Amino acid sequence: MTERSITPPVVWPTKATEVPKEIFVREDVYREELRRIFMGPEWFPIAHASELPNRGDFKTCFVGEVPLLVTRDDEDELHVFYNSCAHRGAQLETRTSGNKRAFQCPYHRWTFDTKGALIGCPLKPGDSVAFSREKYPLSQPRMAMVHGLIFVTLCDAAPSLAAFLDGYEDKLANVMGGDGRLRLLGYHKTTLHANWKTYHDNDAWHAPLLHTAFRMLDWQGGKGCQFANARGHRGFESVLSLPVGQTLLSDASLIEYRGGDLSRGSCSLHLFPLFAAVKHLDTIGLRFVNPRGVDRTELHFAYFGREDDDAEMTRHRVRQSSNLLGPCGMVSMEDAAMFQRLHIGSRTPGMQVFQKGVKDEYAMPREFSQNDEAVNILSWEYYRRVMGFEKEAACPA
Amino acid sequence: MPGVSLDDLRRIDELQVRYLDALDRKNMAAWAGTFAEEAQYICTTAENEDAGLPLALMMDDCRGRIEDRVKFVEKVWAGTFQDYQTRHFVQRLACTAARAGLYSVRSNFAVAFTRSDTGESSILAAGVYDDLVDLSGGQALFQSKRVVVDSPVLPHYVVYPL
Repeated sequence: MTERSITPPVVWPTKATEVPKEIFVREDVYREELRRIFMGPEWFPIAHASELPNRGDFKTCFVGEVPLLVTRDDEDELHVFYNSCAHRGAQLETRTSGNKRAFQCPYHRWTFDTKGALIGCPLKPGDSVAFSREKYPLSQPRMAMVHGLIFVTLCDAAPSLAAFLDGYEDKLANVMGGDGRLRLLGYHKTTLHANWKTYHDNDAWHAPLLHTAFRMLDWQGGKGCQFANARGHRGFESVLSLPVGQTLLSDASLIEYRGGDLSRGSCSLHLFPLFAAVKHLDTIGLRFVNPRGVDRTELHFAYFGREDDDAEMTRHRVRQSSNLLGPCGMVSMEDAAMFQRLHIGSRTPGMQVFQKGVKDEYAMPREFSQNDEAVNILSWEYYRRVMGFEKEAACPA
Repeated sequence: MPGVSLDDLRRIDELQVRYLDALDRKNMAAWAGTFAEEAQYICTTAENEDAGLPLALMMDDCRGRIEDRVKFVEKVWAGTFQDYQTRHFVQRLACTAARAGLYSVRSNFAVAFTRSDTGESSILAAGVYDDLVDLSGGQALFQSKRVVVDSPVLPHYVVYPL
């Protein structure tokens, strides 16, 4: 691979703590990211099995610009297909979700079942020497599942999902409340007016200074830690602390915790390049994110309860998830506003700089305290290498 | 609207105008004042609704939560967001008497918004209002307002109720 498509070339600073702002706003960088990252050897979570609980359920989504179709067949098996008719390539299913046993392309009436087999087609013997139904199933990207979370990669050369997750399977389970036995509660979907990397760099966990609600509730974070690895993934786990004696809210159920064990009650996980999962109080949220251009990112918050929740716990999770997080949520509405400002600011020259927790400006950090922003540095180094951006030569003695 | 007097329709429409005027003026106390003492405000998407999913974008299902939303806008989020100006447009579609003094009202709505940072006007949300309006007291009030947004994906974060 070469960098000829990116002109002038992006030159990455020597300091590990700096990120060039231009990468957030350059159209040519974005096109190259689609090729190297979204079509590259990464794995993308696109759905949780509990979003398709019944036979015949389907969901459509995108990875980068590529449309995908997820189905549950009559034997309860999950499948992922390219959402494109095997004949002339038209988008096969246009709805975001639903339940059906057959997908028919209206153009020439080719019809596929939930396993992707071509089961109907008006071609008659003699219409074509090249045709047989068996030769034209829906084509599929590689797919794998962990704790019910469905991952795909569009790259044949991608490593196994286990190699991609690099030991983070347990952390994924923690965020889901122990394992993948979830029940879907619903979605918040919104558009961020920001580059996808602004989301990648700032969501899931950031300094609580932004959130006035925490200050007004006198709500301090519990003792916890951040972690990150060279594969670009990072996360946060902490004891859940609860606000005491708050007087802000008339209905305190918004910040009530009924989940029992506080020890890992607050955790988040961010997988390179874009997926985030957050468990806070009694909310369990998986955040499916996809770029829609260099300056637009679509964010689908999917919220879940646990399979064994009783009706009262389900009601509590629904009421808490609805109002705490998301594009209208008490502690996250302002995130979207901040991402937008970061994006607009990226049109100025120079670097974004990481400070808190930096011990050596030129080295990859290894340990992080709870509120360190140095934790983001590892995923930027992974990004830089994937994109083939060379570092400036000179390194001071 | 058979069975509903013109005077009742006038009072219902006046309540709707009071509601949208409160929001377009960003007067959250006046917004909360359009609801009865025991009332609910729920805003969800047609996607969640059609799939039978209970999650909402805003679930203020008791008086306390309606009052808390006033605090979110006026106190919690103050200074953290780029403001925008809304213009609500509401068209009553149907009105039926649920029981004495209580009316079920369905309306189309659209909310245009103009961002303060870009100056661009576009549509923030369109959908339907399903309301229960209480006319038994001196002033018409919402006992319930259920907002169902047509688009599954909001084009922008939402500060004020819809």
